[in-house]
Amino acid sequence: MKRITLGSILAALFACSALFAGGLKVGDTVPDFTLKSVDGNDVRYSSLAGDVTVVTFIATRCPVSNAYNERMKAIYADYHAKGVKFVFVNSNKQEDAAEVKEHAQKHGFQFAVYKDPGNVVADLFGAQVTPEAYVIKGGKIVYHGRIDDSQKGDVKDPSLRKALDAVLAGRPIEKPETKAFGCTIKRVS
Amino acid sequence: MRVPAATFIVVLAGAGALAASAGGPARLEPYNAQRHRQVLADNRGKVVLFDFWATWCAPCRAEMPRLIQLARRLRGERFRLITVSADEPEEKQQALEFLQQYGAPEPAFIKDVDDDDAFINAINTDWSGALPALFLYDRNGKLAKMWIGETKISEIERAIRGLLGQ
Repeated sequence: MKRITLGSILAALFACSALFAGGLKVGDTVPDFTLKSVDGNDVRYSSLAGDVTVVTFIATRCPVSNAYNERMKAIYADYHAKGVKFVFVNSNKQEDAAEVKEHAQKHGFQFAVYKDPGNVVADLFGAQVTPEAYVIKGGKIVYHGRIDDSQKGDVKDPSLRKALDAVLAGRPIEKPETKAFGCTIKRVS
Repeated sequence: MRVPAATFIVVLAGAGALAASAGGPARLEPYNAQRHRQVLADNRGKVVLFDFWATWCAPCRAEMPRLIQLARRLRGERFRLITVSADEPEEKQQALEFLQQYGAPEPAFIKDVDDDDAFINAINTDWSGALPALFLYDRNGKLAKMWIGETKISEIERAIRGLLGQ
């Protein structure tokens, strides 16, 4: 019989409380969590994160998420060079690891995309939509929301870039919560 | 077994009935937070289901015909289905043609806002902007239920009928 440890009970309680509370909010501390590489290996968030980390929920089939592929690549290139770490997560139940791997190769992503089996991480964050980004500084969420204000690329407010610029400069983020239309994350029922 | 040609005609006519019937809205009217408040006020005394959708949203397109059929089943009741497209202006014609194909009720709307963030929050602060999004209001204009993502029509119908006192 599988043994249930105190740690697993606490982890489950934490996950439940995060889910019922609507997920992590700006100002909350991000606990460690586990993702799957597209090759099936467990990867701890703590091994990917840095002082400033961007966690972005994306999709392979969502037209809105796909509209941001080139912009995500550009943001990665610009800010990875400044020491920002990036964690791209696919939580959609119908998009398996092979599809995520193929999608990343097809679009020339220079970053890894991880699977979130059972949408556990999406539930932890309370992520609802793709694309949806979180900026984490010193372990706490400091920005949550859209990449920018235009699906079509006619950008007036590069929200994520502005948040990262502010964080890297040690300034407060002008607008720490933003929203945009996007696809729902397809969760397990 | 031989099937008379008339049977095929009847079946084909039935299959095409939903797509060809009613004609749908003649145009899409602009929608913003102020219009939302106005539509709610104009429909006081009715149960209202708002469907926020977009042509790029596959679950929205799948759900729309079922919602329109539901609205037809409830014809004669104090119920309104209001569709609001979250498409960009470039997709306006495509959105209109989709609604016309299924005979969506009039008036039908398309967002016309400078800032999606403010618009989403004006509709509901708990809404992330994920589509499809359904908001069900009771006869007093009070939000009774909100569904985000794919939802069973039976669940939606049950909630509407509950508010209609059926």
